Amino acid sequence: MDFETTRQPPFPDDAANPEARVEPAGSAPDPARAAASASSSLSELPPVLLKLVGVGGAGVNIATRLSAEALAGLPLAVVDCDAQKLADSSVAEKCLLGEKQRRGLSAGGDAELGRQAAEASREKIAAVGGGADLVFVVTGLGGGTGSAAAPMVAAEAAKAGGLVIGFAVLPFSFEGGRRVKQADAALVALRRVCDAVIVLPNDLLLQESAEGASALAAFEQADAWIARAVRAIWGLLHNTGLINLDFAALQRAFEYRGSKTVFGLAGGAEATSAVGGEGREGTAGAAQALLASLPLCPLLHMPEGARRADRLLVVFTGGRDALSLSLVNTVVQALGERFGRAAELIVGATIDESMGERVELCFIGTSDIGHASRRRFGEGRAGRATAAGGTEGAGGAGRTAAARSGETHAAEAAAATVAPTQFQSGAESTDARRKPAPPPPADPFSPLSKAGSAGVFPSAIHGFGKSSARAAAASATTAQDEFGFSESTERGYFQDTDNNLFEGQDLDVPTYRRKGIKITV
Amino acid sequence: MSSDPVTLAAVEIGSSKVAAIVAEYTGYGFTIKGWGECQSQGVRKGCVIDYPAVTQCTQQALENAKRATGGSSGVPVEQIDKVFLAQTGGHLDGFYNEGARIVSAADNMVSAEDIAEVRRLAKAKELPEGRMLLERLRHPFRLDGRLIKSSPEHLCGRRLEVGYWMVHGDESRISDSYHMISNSQIEVAEMVLSGLASGRVVTSQAEREHGVLVIDIGGGTSDYALYRDGLPYVAGAVAVGGGHLSNDLTIGLRLSTGQGDRVKLRHGRAIVQCRDKAQKVWLDGDLAIGDRQLPLLSIEKILEARVREIFEVVKHKLGTAFSPETCAAGVVLTGGTSKLPAIAEAAAAVFNTPVHIGQVSDGFPEPLQDPGFHTALGLLQLGIEKQRAREAAERSQRPGFLRRLFARPSRH
Repeated sequence: MDFETTRQPPFPDDAANPEARVEPAGSAPDPARAAASASSSLSELPPVLLKLVGVGGAGVNIATRLSAEALAGLPLAVVDCDAQKLADSSVAEKCLLGEKQRRGLSAGGDAELGRQAAEASREKIAAVGGGADLVFVVTGLGGGTGSAAAPMVAAEAAKAGGLVIGFAVLPFSFEGGRRVKQADAALVALRRVCDAVIVLPNDLLLQESAEGASALAAFEQADAWIARAVRAIWGLLHNTGLINLDFAALQRAFEYRGSKTVFGLAGGAEATSAVGGEGREGTAGAAQALLASLPLCPLLHMPEGARRADRLLVVFTGGRDALSLSLVNTVVQALGERFGRAAELIVGATIDESMGERVELCFIGTSDIGHASRRRFGEGRAGRATAAGGTEGAGGAGRTAAARSGETHAAEAAAATVAPTQFQSGAESTDARRKPAPPPPADPFSPLSKAGSAGVFPSAIHGFGKSSARAAAASATTAQDEFGFSESTERGYFQDTDNNLFEGQDLDVPTYRRKGIKITV
Repeated sequence: MSSDPVTLAAVEIGSSKVAAIVAEYTGYGFTIKGWGECQSQGVRKGCVIDYPAVTQCTQQALENAKRATGGSSGVPVEQIDKVFLAQTGGHLDGFYNEGARIVSAADNMVSAEDIAEVRRLAKAKELPEGRMLLERLRHPFRLDGRLIKSSPEHLCGRRLEVGYWMVHGDESRISDSYHMISNSQIEVAEMVLSGLASGRVVTSQAEREHGVLVIDIGGGTSDYALYRDGLPYVAGAVAVGGGHLSNDLTIGLRLSTGQGDRVKLRHGRAIVQCRDKAQKVWLDGDLAIGDRQLPLLSIEKILEARVREIFEVVKHKLGTAFSPETCAAGVVLTGGTSKLPAIAEAAAAVFNTPVHIGQVSDGFPEPLQDPGFHTALGLLQLGIEKQRAREAAERSQRPGFLRRLFARPSRH
């Protein structure tokens, strides 16, 4: 355990060292890292390793689509039970689950079959997800493989110390109750192991698409949206920005595990005409068009109640001429007002010549309310790095630990003592991230009531920041909510009245809750 | 003036109740004839959300008050001529504006014209769209930096300055409450800020000279007024009140709305006193089905956090206008929530000054000495003062004593 190792090498200039990031598919990433970190020269510092794993049918589709775009430094992998599906995919790294159980057939929409297959291939899954700093797990929930294997992939990746962002496509409601139920259960399981889960309900696409559009077209649209989102985050890490953001900024945004997350994309195609075409509208028009197109993003799962975010990560990408500072200023200010000025704003701007006149905006908001601090340590990572890279491993682990140190205070001791024992116990090892041990997955809310949290609504734990880390550590795991869900319901009697904002806080929400005072009932 | 008494009513439409006091004004003083109240419905945080319900409550309260006038004099009042209406709510906002003028006369003596001009300048600031001016609080004049508590006329100096604290509110909300009364064919003669109204009756002139802060914590709002040098200096409202205390308990202890309120009244405390985590109190205490035990510590913690925050928000809103040094007479609390045990200590901890619970003069009938009526009482006093000032101004503009004497009968 390298808690003491606090050396934090600067992150490499990604553009300067693109080769180092492209891993040969299928190979274990550690030797690459070890080799890279062997040299002390700036350009050869270990790069931030990314990976995208498509799980299940829908996940494979999306990964395949992305593989056509050839994003440098984003190795792809696909995981499925269906051998035929895998064979059709152009993604190089393929992982077939449950060869013995399924004999290359799909799970047939049965999550239990999917689970058995995934369990049988746990080692393979660990090899796929492990080793990257940032893992995107892309899946369609509701089916057999995706519902069962995606949480497992995420858990293994997280266990290895990576930051895990899940993209989950939820089934159409016309697909029937069973799929919806499976999807809900899987979503809860996924949220428990991911740093952020971005949800795309297919139903939204149905509303959006034209009258006569086929289901296939809608599925394709879903794929396209997720591809855009992944590209946006990839771009944030990969392109050196005018106002640069790197992996550390992303880590900062997801400081608290299981925070409510809101994710939105704006601009691009829809806003193009307003941004570029209408010269007279100028910057103000462009900013307005951007803001107007933001609510149209189906990934933006934001009920009306969402009022406040604690951290906002806003990334602009645009052509040299289209991206002006005043545009950035106007949009960021509007977002800041929308989510409370107290929010910590992290702004990035990247020039992308290929964007031409277009400007694209990607924003990620997280709220700490009532959630455990995200990280304990890179134990998994430390172990892996040491095993792989000998002395250099300490450096790699140190970076992980250092980047994440300071986030866990109350939780540190607990994690340090709990983790080693649990890490030995295979399947339960993911639980080390959240102490004490989590509840049975079937009922995600029960631990809250057991821990005596005072919320009327099960999703609510009080307070934020460090005190919440304490409260939440005590109350075990917290299922991640729809952003803002509980906030809209915690005003009680004042539910339907105007916001009562003072210094970014809604005074109608009980004070004890905003201040993180723990109440026993 | 003294010949024909006018029947006045002071009406406060609060979030928990509508209070009305009916009085007779003879031109010199007023006599309280009766009072009435009605549980308020359709008002949240001081703002009307259900117009018909509130109108009904207001009429009921006025009716109760009218009927009560019969008790003392034998004959109930038939007609209310004028109404004074209290204004509160989170929509109120204030700002400070200042005007300055170089004294025009060559000998540096301040003339009436200088005073009028500097006042005009200080008032000239325009309000944002959709806002309506409710109150202008004039701060003392300054002549070359010297504080002049009375009129600076005939004093000598080069530069005359004056500042106003202007309180404005949302036009539609103010007109909502205005029409509540005017729709029943009664004239709304004055609108007064609730904070100033209650501040007027719970402080003495001496206290206001020394500097005092009045906080009226009602059901849905907390109104405040800061006095310095005998004049109201800053006034405003925060849309947090006793209802929030109940709501916090309701949410925190998972009770129904009515239960939260009862627990607050029965077991509430503004400062945590209970040291025993295991100490429990009964929800209803009647041993009926559904009765259960609640940890006293939790109740006290929830209330302490909220009460403290109310004071902190008020203090923050006052900003630099408040400091313990300029507020020698301390803080006075009033309003229904001021009955919460230990609330004075909680306020003292935030404001760092002595705090006491406001009381009105013994001269008023006993039921009106309840903090719930303080605003209405102050409203009556302040409204009459304002009317007098208005009449005086009118009179001074009218030419000639004799003509005024002849003109008077035609007014009625």
